Amino acid sequence: MSGSKPDILWSPHHVDRYVICDSELSLYRIESVGNSEAKAGALRLSEETTATLLAINSDTPYMKCVAWYPKHEPECLLAVGQANGRIVLTSLGQSHNSKCKDLMGKEFVPKHARQCNTLAWNPVDSNWLAAGLDKHRADFSVLIWDISSKFTPEASVTMEKIRLSAGDTDAGLVVTKPLYELGQNDACLSLCWLPRDQKLLLAGMHRNLAIFDLRNTSQKMFVNTKAIQGVTVDPHFHDRVASFFEGQVAIWDLRKFEKPVLTLTEQPKPLTKVAWCPTRTGLLATLTRDSNIIRLYDMQHTPTPIGDETEPTIIERSVQPCENHIASFAWHPSSQNRMVVVTPNRSMTDFTVFERISLAWSSTGSIMWACGRHLYECTEEGDASSVERDIATKMRQRAQSRYGHDTEQVWRNYLLAGGDEPQLKSLWYTLYFMKQYTEDLEQKPVVNKLPLVYSGIKNIVKSSSGTVESRRCWNGSDRQADVIRYHSDERCLALQLCGWIKRGPEIDVEPFLQSLEVEREWERAAAVALFNLDIRRAIQVLNKGASAEKGDLNLNVVAMALSGYTDEKNSLWREMCSSLRLQLNNPHLCVMFAFLTSEPGSYDGVLYESRLAVQDRVAFACIFLSDSQLPRYIEKLASKMKEAGNLEGILLTGLTKDGVDLMESYVDRTGDVQTASFCMLKGSPGEVVKDSRVQCWIENYRNLLDAWRFWHKRAEFDIHRSKLDPSSKPLAQVFVSCNFCGKSISYSCSAMPHQGRGFSQYGVSGSPTKSKVTSCPGCRKPLPRCALCLMNMGTPVSSCPGTGKSDEKVDLSKDKKLAQFNNWFTWCHNCRHGGHTGHMLSWFRDHTECPVSACTCKCMQLDTTGNLVPSDSV
Amino acid sequence: MELHILEHSLKVASIAKEGIQFFTHGLIKLAFLPSKTRCKFFTLTETPEDYTIIVDEEGFKGKLCFEKGAACVRVSVWLRQQLNVVSGGGSSSSSQPIGVTKIAKSVIAPLADHNISVFMLSTYQTDFILVRERDLPLVMHTLSSEFTLLRVVNGEAVAANSLGVTNGFVKPKLVQRPVIHPLSSPSNMFCVTSLDPVTLPSVATILMDIMFYSSGVKESAAPSDDLEYIRFFSFSLIEGYVSLVMDEETQKRFPLNVLFTSASGELWKMVRIGGQPLGFDECGIVAQISESLAAADIPAYYISTFKFDHALVPEENIQSVIGALRTNEGGGQ
Repeated sequence: MSGSKPDILWSPHHVDRYVICDSELSLYRIESVGNSEAKAGALRLSEETTATLLAINSDTPYMKCVAWYPKHEPECLLAVGQANGRIVLTSLGQSHNSKCKDLMGKEFVPKHARQCNTLAWNPVDSNWLAAGLDKHRADFSVLIWDISSKFTPEASVTMEKIRLSAGDTDAGLVVTKPLYELGQNDACLSLCWLPRDQKLLLAGMHRNLAIFDLRNTSQKMFVNTKAIQGVTVDPHFHDRVASFFEGQVAIWDLRKFEKPVLTLTEQPKPLTKVAWCPTRTGLLATLTRDSNIIRLYDMQHTPTPIGDETEPTIIERSVQPCENHIASFAWHPSSQNRMVVVTPNRSMTDFTVFERISLAWSSTGSIMWACGRHLYECTEEGDASSVERDIATKMRQRAQSRYGHDTEQVWRNYLLAGGDEPQLKSLWYTLYFMKQYTEDLEQKPVVNKLPLVYSGIKNIVKSSSGTVESRRCWNGSDRQADVIRYHSDERCLALQLCGWIKRGPEIDVEPFLQSLEVEREWERAAAVALFNLDIRRAIQVLNKGASAEKGDLNLNVVAMALSGYTDEKNSLWREMCSSLRLQLNNPHLCVMFAFLTSEPGSYDGVLYESRLAVQDRVAFACIFLSDSQLPRYIEKLASKMKEAGNLEGILLTGLTKDGVDLMESYVDRTGDVQTASFCMLKGSPGEVVKDSRVQCWIENYRNLLDAWRFWHKRAEFDIHRSKLDPSSKPLAQVFVSCNFCGKSISYSCSAMPHQGRGFSQYGVSGSPTKSKVTSCPGCRKPLPRCALCLMNMGTPVSSCPGTGKSDEKVDLSKDKKLAQFNNWFTWCHNCRHGGHTGHMLSWFRDHTECPVSACTCKCMQLDTTGNLVPSDSV
Repeated sequence: MELHILEHSLKVASIAKEGIQFFTHGLIKLAFLPSKTRCKFFTLTETPEDYTIIVDEEGFKGKLCFEKGAACVRVSVWLRQQLNVVSGGGSSSSSQPIGVTKIAKSVIAPLADHNISVFMLSTYQTDFILVRERDLPLVMHTLSSEFTLLRVVNGEAVAANSLGVTNGFVKPKLVQRPVIHPLSSPSNMFCVTSLDPVTLPSVATILMDIMFYSSGVKESAAPSDDLEYIRFFSFSLIEGYVSLVMDEETQKRFPLNVLFTSASGELWKMVRIGGQPLGFDECGIVAQISESLAAADIPAYYISTFKFDHALVPEENIQSVIGALRTNEGGGQ
């Protein structure tokens, strides 16, 4: 604060006043814009606030430091430390307080003149003012003055041959006898009173930090350090102190004063000010010379260091309150995170440090964020259906309905998913057929030349050979059809995968037609019948559809149109059908006429009708396209599916790398990692599952389940996964070993580490027969006893409530032999007491402390997840 | 009590009066532009015989061109050691002896007993005892019993271990040390003062005038007829702290409120030790003086220069000091 560099001080009690001090003291009042718009001379500090100059005091030259009297009355009393070590009491503005008048102009003079570096009022006994002075060979550097003391020419003082200038001796305004003198032959650069005790003073001395205790001035506690400037106590944590040296800030814990708890990263330029935020815990602001940024260190989430090694984490960031260099700053005493900064040319800025926003997005869709002391919750407006349509909601519902877990009737998973998405239907039916035909192929040892069914139709038709061409008549029509159909084993398999024909050598679509009729898919059934050159059956299906309940009578009309089919090239029927078919809304009806009116061998009207299900198009292609056309068409279709992320394409790509590519674009489009995970797990072991993308989906799905607290579902998924992909099974990580011989007593049963840290459960008794094992298999010594029933470990729980229920729980693994969870042995990692899980759980329902007498361990509370409740039912 | 061993390596040099013109450039830089040099320790003391300069190696290398006036310069290398005695700091401060008196028993006498030659420098802020670099292990050994020895490394104090070296002298019995050298006491009175380093530029011209052009000014300003008058001025800038020793007349040339005047406004008389240059090898000189002063409980500053030693004692004590020292002198012979 030497002349050019202003400093700033907030009034301790008037939240709207502050003082700027450089060569003089100026008192400002800060107001919001609304109140002071009319006033002239108001300085704009920010968009909302202005400052008005209230008073100037230029009575005290050579100012080195200023401290504001901490008590309410007299309100505007300031102590000014001067370059010659004198401390002068002065005030700003008028004060009618008589006490204030008495104090005004009072001077406190050290024996030997030297610069006064710092001042600090005692927060409790506000008559005490501590001053830190530069070094003098024979004098003290820390003087504590009592501002209420009078000048008294005591004997001791005269002994020192006081030669005061004539002006000083009047009115008793000069005090030369301090209350306490500390730090002889040393320099004091910074001071602060410790809130722990009124008589404790922390001083940054030359080369050390010292704590002086005024109750015993011959004692001091000190630590050698360079960081001796700007000592300041954290107002929220009274044992935490910051000090600095050059560009380095040291944080001290007074309870462990030997070395700094931590040192903040060094700044390239020397620091000028370090201040704790009074309105927010653990926020430290630092300013370096010639800088326009204030660096903030947030120690908000710092846990109290327990060991020597624990380094607290700190979030560091910078704020730039204004364009110019900052001379000094001061936190507002009560307004949260607010500060006023002043530049060397005395322009001021009112600034609020914006709080970091922490945002939490719930796995169930709601969003919440915290800013400062406010917590905001965001609710989505609009109809509930948008939430319903959201993939997260769907996945959640599907997880609860055990979607993906049906490994036998794989197609049922489509129903578990809600049964309303054609893509999923196609996917699960495809997977179902693939599974079925793979099993078929495995039973037939000879057909090893066929590619794996799971690699998709694309690969199946590539290997196609021995294709037989055939011309067939229309069923139910006498006329010779001019249609060439192709047939081979591979094409047959493809048709099977498309679901058109059942397994077996027969190429018979009748069962498929019947099933379509059951599902009232009249048009599709008609189309399939027609593609099998059975025009009569097609008409029959359409009639059935028209006559069925709520049937569309138009189907009869279509049937009539169909019955008029003629292969005459130039007939009116053909002409009208080929043009009018485009107006038909139903894609199946549309393609029927497209097929009938098309030239032989070119079926683009059917093949590129995108509204038609992929499996139908592919089946159609398998029947009517030649060996040269078919792979090209399939290739084209597959890449289109891949691009669109259409799950129907899985039929073509199978669960190959292509399939993963397709699934990738599906996941990119929908975010449905659930379907992706389950689908890919069905793939032949090892191949696709090892793909990093697949692993990523699986991990994400597991995390999602965890986030929903669907822990049981997660466990089920893991079990499901380890069955399909044995390599994913985690190795046993923890073993229970015998106290006596040290051998593992759970060698036969894989240990299952529990989620939490404090508590672990292990199935030590793998089966009912083994559950009678109460001694170590290695050395035959007894196993530990349950702390509650005092039975040896391994003994089944005799009376546990709801045994029947827990049987059902176990049922999920379809392994009745697995030990009941209640029989598992569990213990606290902290106090090492434990017992049967069932006993422990019921004990801790009513107790917080360990069941072992005289053990005060709060075992259950050590388990961070112990109090969480899963949100899914088992 | 703590004793800090500082990290500067110092040189003590003497510049003849007539040779000062060759060095003014470097000296001004060292004295007034500390930010331009890396020098942390600089003192300049003018006596009637010569200028004594103590400067650390940085300053010596960088700024003093000794080649030019080599004839005028004698250089001796010393290592320094600062005494920073941290005592109980009780409330009985008013009568506490200060300066060299306080450390006479604990530091000066033991060093003299072990035949270690010391070079004393008192400033406004503190006392420095300079010892030869080669003597340092012995100094540490000698003082380790009384003090916590702290070595300053990069500004941070760390504990220094005594190396357990002796120079072969057995500790002699404590005997009365006679004052060997002749004493004189000039008539003018001195003040020891300091100033805010920030205000140094504003008085730089006055200081330069006093430092380098004293011979011209002296004729008019000082009573030249007074034979007992001595020309003595000392300026030091050590780790940012300024310390000045000047006589009353010189002090009047400074503007008011620039110099730190102590509340008691005390003035000091000088006792000059040595009839001919003392050299650097003789030990016990400081001890001879300081022990007598300590016995009489008289505070003192002690400033060694290249040729002679100077003790400053309170003006009212000068007669008793002279008396005590003369008695001692007699007793010794």
